[in-house]
Amino acid sequence: MTEPRVIRFRLNGEWVQLGVAPNELLINVLRERLHLTGTKYWCGIGECGGCTVLLDGEPVLSCLTLAVDVDGREITTIEGLATGEDDLTPLQRAFIEEGAIQCGFCTPGFILTAQALLRENPNPTEEEIREYVRGNLCRCTGYVNIVRAIKRAASEAAKSRRPGPAAGAASG
Amino acid sequence: MSSSSVLEEIRRAEEFLVVGKGVWRIDALDKVTGRARFTSDFVLKDALHVRLVKSPIPHGRIIEIDAERALGLGPVRVFTAADIPGENQVGYALPDQPLLPADKVRYVGEPVALVAAPDEDLAEKAAELVEVRYEELPAVFDPLEAMERSDVLVHEDRGTNIAEMTRVRKGNVERGFEESDVVVENTYRTGHQEHAPLETEGAVAIPDTQGGVTVIASIQYPHLCQRITARVLGLPHSMVRVIQPYVGGGFGGKDDMGPVVSAMAALVAFKTGKPAVLVYSRRDSFTSTCKRDPSVVRYKTGATRDGRLKAIEVQIILDSGAYANRGPYVLWRATMHAGGPYEVPNAKVDGFLVYTNKVFEGSFRGFGNPQVQFAAESQLDELAERLGMDPLEIRLKNLLRPGSRTITDQLLESSVGIYEAVKLLGEKTGFRAKWREYRRERAGRVRRGIGIACGYHGISTSRGVPDWSNATVILGRDGSVTVETGICEIGQGSWTAHAQIAAEVLGVPVERVKVVGGTSDAPDTGATHASRGSSIGGIGVYVAAKRLRERLAEAAARLLECDPSDVEIREGRAFRRDSPDDYVEWEELVQAAYSMGYEMSATGYFFLPKGKFDMERGLGYAYPAFSYIANVAEVEVDLETGKVRVVRVWPALAAGRILNPVLVEGQIEGAIAQGMGYALTEELKFEDGRMLNPNFTDYLIPTSLDVPEVEAPIYVEDLYEYGPFGAKGVGEMALIPTPAAIMNAVKNATGVRITEIPATPEKVYFHLKEAGVVAGE
Repeated sequence: MTEPRVIRFRLNGEWVQLGVAPNELLINVLRERLHLTGTKYWCGIGECGGCTVLLDGEPVLSCLTLAVDVDGREITTIEGLATGEDDLTPLQRAFIEEGAIQCGFCTPGFILTAQALLRENPNPTEEEIREYVRGNLCRCTGYVNIVRAIKRAASEAAKSRRPGPAAGAASG
Repeated sequence: MSSSSVLEEIRRAEEFLVVGKGVWRIDALDKVTGRARFTSDFVLKDALHVRLVKSPIPHGRIIEIDAERALGLGPVRVFTAADIPGENQVGYALPDQPLLPADKVRYVGEPVALVAAPDEDLAEKAAELVEVRYEELPAVFDPLEAMERSDVLVHEDRGTNIAEMTRVRKGNVERGFEESDVVVENTYRTGHQEHAPLETEGAVAIPDTQGGVTVIASIQYPHLCQRITARVLGLPHSMVRVIQPYVGGGFGGKDDMGPVVSAMAALVAFKTGKPAVLVYSRRDSFTSTCKRDPSVVRYKTGATRDGRLKAIEVQIILDSGAYANRGPYVLWRATMHAGGPYEVPNAKVDGFLVYTNKVFEGSFRGFGNPQVQFAAESQLDELAERLGMDPLEIRLKNLLRPGSRTITDQLLESSVGIYEAVKLLGEKTGFRAKWREYRRERAGRVRRGIGIACGYHGISTSRGVPDWSNATVILGRDGSVTVETGICEIGQGSWTAHAQIAAEVLGVPVERVKVVGGTSDAPDTGATHASRGSSIGGIGVYVAAKRLRERLAEAAARLLECDPSDVEIREGRAFRRDSPDDYVEWEELVQAAYSMGYEMSATGYFFLPKGKFDMERGLGYAYPAFSYIANVAEVEVDLETGKVRVVRVWPALAAGRILNPVLVEGQIEGAIAQGMGYALTEELKFEDGRMLNPNFTDYLIPTSLDVPEVEAPIYVEDLYEYGPFGAKGVGEMALIPTPAAIMNAVKNATGVRITEIPATPEKVYFHLKEAGVVAGE
């Protein structure tokens, strides 16, 4: 084993610094060293999408990402999105309201992947949603309500962007 | 509570505040924020990590287990059968399954020893260094061969590879076939199915200060895990506590595997005095946990010219793998459901559960029923074809109705909504017109087809096996409500349904209710299986909450100076029915009830009344109630690739009261996707008993690109007198008819009957080719 290396990265908005082995995986650093267990481990070989986190806003599989590679960069995990009911993101709220959650094990990976999708493409079609999340497996829902929730979050975000009468009055 | 009063309640309750509404799941917030903790999220300091040493051979005697090299690596411990302090037995239906085998192994992947070390990598390395010497024995893999052989026995002491036989004898089938104008006979085959819960099996065991152990595990029945773990450790049940954290999918598999992983982790914790963490790798989850039983079903059906069913003769052979596990119960369920939800006057059914040297089988959503409904529902379409009828017509002629008798001669007095469900489904989908059109067209490379299949499923345990509901409801002095139950939350939403039931009965907002479930600290509520979580589990909550409600009504009557029968409690306020403005707040009411000396906790217990079952003839009372389902599936078949795409599915459900439409819809959609995987892509491949594809790259569960659109379900609320607010089970239903609905649609599209699932593209392609259906010709 070679020497540990000190890395520094922004995690959910705050800088963290720690020594990691050159072969240490990001998922293990998050779960075991930093106790952020919202990121889920289920296949370990990039088949399922369950361990998805955002690296500089892009979805990556933390089970296939070396911790040393995130040095100086920004990581968002599910814990970085909201602290409770009051500050849920539109996606989190839509997942609850559309019944897109059952066992909840795939939920963090799906929400983060969907967040990246909506950043790239704020108004995706159903086909684009299905295509984008195809690497995230779910065994409970049949994906019906997950796709519906992503659509709903997109349309709600669009509504709040559009200067409607209320927004117009507020800004005016 | 008497049955008539329960029924009376249901009838009177026309309007609900919480029941029947799509309230937020009570676990939703934890699950979207990443706070929800699953078994492997309990990272304990000083914990030992446990890995399995698995058999590389399908059948052989264990000569020696040499752990010397493994132990030489450092702080490593190795545990074998010799280390088990109690009884080395985890068999469910039969005492045939050791936790760790002492004398021989019976399948590739069978855990032979456990290795524990302070870190995962060391445990993994040490497990590879444990050397097990075997004397290999001849093995048997095909159930049809295994049932004939006595020279190769998976369990020598049983003298045969047939683990269980079942039968139904109703009427006179010979006469039934004589009176039939048309007889159809076919053999159907179904493969293994892996549950593939996204969270693998696992347990964390912590030794306690009193010589016992606490287990946190991914399970479906805490009290069963408690019993098995206590048996293996040689402890009284009370020394073992079992708690479920959040569970990442179960589908039946964790009902069977929960006790095994609990006992394994507990063994290590008990022997070392340290916390032990055992989490199956994805590979372990494939190679070493139970699957859905593969089947061979030979099915003969006779009907008169006008389409009335006269007789069925069915032989069901289930491949049990190395151990019986739940197999005898799975086989009974398949046997008793063999007729489908139809009136069949004469029935002869024989079932065989056969041991082979492959991974053992067990509980999986549908529990033997999907295998047999695939055959029964394919048969019905073949029969219709011969009679010149359409699939809808033949079903409507024969469906069960109130007053019908099942093939076990059980009288169904009420709560039989399938006829109405199928009728509505036929209208909604325009089934007949589409079916005729697709059948006429049959041109081009991609062909479209539509198919229908029905199913029914007995709720609760089979035959006279006792079943009960049990729960405790506690009101805190601050007015908070706690429901304690053994029912597990595995994603299906039972805890939310429990909270809704308690809130509705007590008259408080659902947010007030907390459910503490899935723990052996609660009363034994039975397993979360057989679609009984909310339907049967909810009865105890209903009864307990009712008791508290009566006490609160008395207390409120004293405060409001009226008769208890004039008290209304709703939305957290108690008032006199004739003057709603003069109310008492819920907290105030609960505190007053405490002061007046009312007991503010109550247990709810209900023992399900059951009838007699004659095992010799397989006749009698099979289940307290049945839920019913029908699915219509529309498919596209690509003749050049053999790929079947399921475009759209329309479900119709008759499962009594729909307690929460959002949750029920989720169960239906998920079950359809799982049933589609079972029918089309999920294939476990074996070579000499060794699984060739234990991963998600080679074992294909449906992705977001594969699943069909699922239309809004049709609900026929055929209330069940003992169900909470009239609810019956839902969880398993929509999977059951899905394979047949798809294959019936493939037949409609191509004219070819495929009798074997999974119908992978290559299988479909060769079937089509053999039948002379080729693109462009």
